[in-house]
Amino acid sequence: MTAQAQILPGNLDLLILKAVSLGPLHGYGILLRIEQISRGALLIEQGALYPALFRLVRQGLLKPSWGTSDNNRRAKFYELTAEGRKRLRQEAADWNRLAAAIASALGAQPEEV
Amino acid sequence: MRFFAGFRSLVSALFHRSGVEADMDEELRTHIQNRAHDLKRSGMPRAEAERVARIEFGGQERFKEEIREALGTRFLDTLLQDLHFAFRMLRNSPGFTIVAVLTLALGIGANTAIFSYVDAWVIKPLPFPQADRLMVFVSHDTKKGWTGTDITSADLLDFQQHNTSFEQTAAWASWNFNLTGDGPPAFVSGGRISWNFFETLGVKPIAGRTFVQDDDKSGAPRVAILNEGLWKSRYAGDPKIIGRTIRIDDESFTVVGVMPGKFQFSLMGIANLWTPLALTDKERDDRNSSWLSAFGRLKPGVTPTQAGADCAASFARLEKQYPKTNTNLTLLVSSMIEEVGKNEGAPQVLMCFWIVGLILLIACANVANLMLARASRRAKEFALRGALGASRGRLVRQLLSESLLLFFLGAVAGTLFGKWGMTWIQSAIPDRIRGYLVNYGEANLDFRTLAFTMGVALLCGLVFGLAPAFESSRLDLNGPLKEASGQASGGKRSTRLRRIFVSAEIALAVVVLISTTLLVRSFIISVGASPGFTPANLMVAALELPKTRYAESAHMRNFSDDVLARLRTLPQVVSVGAASSVPFGGFGQVVLIEAVGKPAPRPGEQLGARLTAASADYFSTMQIPLIKGRTFTSSDASGDSPSAMINQTLARQFWPNENPVGQKIKFGEQQTVCTIVGVVADVKVNQLRQRPERQMYVPFTQFPSTLLGFVVRTTGNPVAMPTAIRNEIWAVDRDQPVSAVEPMETLIVVKDTPNRVLTKMMVFFGLLATFLGAIGIYGVMSFLVSQRTHEIGIRVALGASPLQVMRMIMDQGLKLAMIGVLLGVLAALGVTRSLAFMLYGVNPRDPATFIGVTVLFAFVAVAAGYLPARRAMRVDPIVALRNE
Repeated sequence: MTAQAQILPGNLDLLILKAVSLGPLHGYGILLRIEQISRGALLIEQGALYPALFRLVRQGLLKPSWGTSDNNRRAKFYELTAEGRKRLRQEAADWNRLAAAIASALGAQPEEV
Repeated sequence: MRFFAGFRSLVSALFHRSGVEADMDEELRTHIQNRAHDLKRSGMPRAEAERVARIEFGGQERFKEEIREALGTRFLDTLLQDLHFAFRMLRNSPGFTIVAVLTLALGIGANTAIFSYVDAWVIKPLPFPQADRLMVFVSHDTKKGWTGTDITSADLLDFQQHNTSFEQTAAWASWNFNLTGDGPPAFVSGGRISWNFFETLGVKPIAGRTFVQDDDKSGAPRVAILNEGLWKSRYAGDPKIIGRTIRIDDESFTVVGVMPGKFQFSLMGIANLWTPLALTDKERDDRNSSWLSAFGRLKPGVTPTQAGADCAASFARLEKQYPKTNTNLTLLVSSMIEEVGKNEGAPQVLMCFWIVGLILLIACANVANLMLARASRRAKEFALRGALGASRGRLVRQLLSESLLLFFLGAVAGTLFGKWGMTWIQSAIPDRIRGYLVNYGEANLDFRTLAFTMGVALLCGLVFGLAPAFESSRLDLNGPLKEASGQASGGKRSTRLRRIFVSAEIALAVVVLISTTLLVRSFIISVGASPGFTPANLMVAALELPKTRYAESAHMRNFSDDVLARLRTLPQVVSVGAASSVPFGGFGQVVLIEAVGKPAPRPGEQLGARLTAASADYFSTMQIPLIKGRTFTSSDASGDSPSAMINQTLARQFWPNENPVGQKIKFGEQQTVCTIVGVVADVKVNQLRQRPERQMYVPFTQFPSTLLGFVVRTTGNPVAMPTAIRNEIWAVDRDQPVSAVEPMETLIVVKDTPNRVLTKMMVFFGLLATFLGAIGIYGVMSFLVSQRTHEIGIRVALGASPLQVMRMIMDQGLKLAMIGVLLGVLAALGVTRSLAFMLYGVNPRDPATFIGVTVLFAFVAVAAGYLPARRAMRVDPIVALRNE
């Protein structure tokens, strides 16, 4: 496994929104999806996922519903609400701008100054 | 929207809490099972997979807490949890809990009881709707500077005509009535009132009607309104009372209404009967005698200031129109609530409120100290909880919950104690003076009083819980845990806090004890002081002759002569006398006086004196000492220049270096000139604490009066005497009401009741403060000893004698006590001056009191410190050191 990066709490919200935007998932599914889409580069404390999920539900960004998982267990599935989708777009754009800015800053060469 | 969503989730979370918790558990469990399942598939043994899944997940409880926080239920959750835990902690140390709750119950209960009186006497003394809109009119002479609540009828009528600020204005005059027929003649006090009197106050009758405008016209059919009490007692609650004819002052009146027994207008005093003012034409034009009192109800939106300006404008106009009578005269308005409060002992009630406030602080400091001592015994528990991850805020909250719960329990117990106190105060007030007291001297444990009690308790619980909570939650994780012995460890800081608390507490107790001692001493001195005559074995009968039948002086003279002659023949009677007014019997008249042959006083600077018309043997019967000259004789019955007697105060002020006997004095509106024949001692006429006043006597035979008091000196205290006296009076005039025939000593005690009640309360408060102060010293000393047991053990092992140990401990305690006493004495020097208005014969800085209290507290400190010190003395070094 390559070196994993600890993620900041705010970013976990963003990742959850992104993971769920690809299709309704239960908690463990979200964890696997994030691992998958980040190619295993991000380390997520498993338990920390749940407070974040409850928070997002409370903010009206996610909608929970009980269903059955692939292995026939009863599980709570999360999907994006309209507001959640809007928030994801906005935060993703913000993040990209910030990442680009920081990348450009870090990529600066002496002669450019 | 977000807010509502959040609110909904909070509400649903609260109502379906168990559902939410179950969901949460299931979701986390599913996650771990899923993970274990995946790990197993990757080849891990089942048991191992489940273990790893759980470890990877992390601390479930912590995440659950975070989830609860995200849901917004955490706050209530921890609150309930805190309270539950606090309750358990209090139950586990019943000794601490009982002492703390009892201490608080005493402190809070005293406040509950006194607050109920503050509420009834100061905050809402008038049980009328929108009482704050009621204004009393006050006459004010801008030049002479005096004010009075009386006004002439003509001025009032003028003002009523032009007034724009008041919805209604009503007038009244206190009045005494003689009721005849329907049983023995009775003397009833009440008032003549304008027709809208009750309407302006906002009071409705329980039967019939109040007066209407037509009743208030001169010459209208005579009507009267009774009080429920009079209706029940004299007319046996006659259901057909409305319309019944009764005899008042020898005239027929028709009863039109009955007012509720609880109706009270304390400015009027006790009132049981009302008749309309029905001003005569002569009265309507009278601008000379101010005999009416008046009040009004402000129009909506009008402020008292605007109304005051309106009054001033009206009176400025009158001043121009009637310069002879109205020069310098203006009219002010004053809130009726304030006027009632001024008259009726509100300052005394407020003073009690201050004192119980201090007592509550003492109790709180005591409990705070107990909590500190207990917290330091629990230092290990806190360190352990800190080490396990409890934040400091969490510990503070836990300790605060305990403190709040303790104060809440104290408030509950205090309410019971306060209720008992209120019952006691009410039972201490004799029924006969209730009518003079605001709200009949009653107070209720109503919603406001309960809210006050709980509010004060929780506020104190918060304030006094904070210091111990912060102090004991400073997280020193290692120290306490290392002390394997389980020894109490108090940091230097918390020890200092404890010392501050105990010193402050003693200082407060000293202030309370000095204040209460001064008041109690005043009472003892005033009761011991001579009223200027001998009250023992003296009977008093007071009455008022109706002017209708006793218009002529000769009639009054004959009546009194006849009664005196008859009374003299009664068995066991030593001597009898009569006077226009008798000390402690009510009534009384003050006239302006002037010494003949001295420079005339400037207008407005004339002096007044209490004038009493007395029979010749009045002075010997009362046993008022004669200082100079002689008393009246039968030869004073006639003569060109009437005789007069004066008291010592008047003699000293008017003829400081001369013999007053033989001097002449002028008095009253007629400027009657009298020759002074004798000087007698000062007599107290209203209360034992009265300051000396100028008094003057004239012979009753020459100045007969319709107001009459008979004094009868007896041997022993014959039980049948009142009836016998009454019968002799009725033998002379069978229609003459006699107010009451009572021993002089009873009259004095009744007048002194407020002081008696107050003094008993002061004794109680003084004892309470001392007791709480003693507990405080004892508690801290015990704690210090238990804290130093180890050190004492070493000292004893090294050869310290038990006496040395005891001295060491006592020194420590005495030092704290003395700092407190010193601070208390300094504070008392500053505050007792504000008690001066209630003191009698005692200086607010009375050295004996200050020194006595200081010495007393030194003894209290020694006594309270002795038990812990003795315990220290008996420390066995082997046991103390084995504790290691």
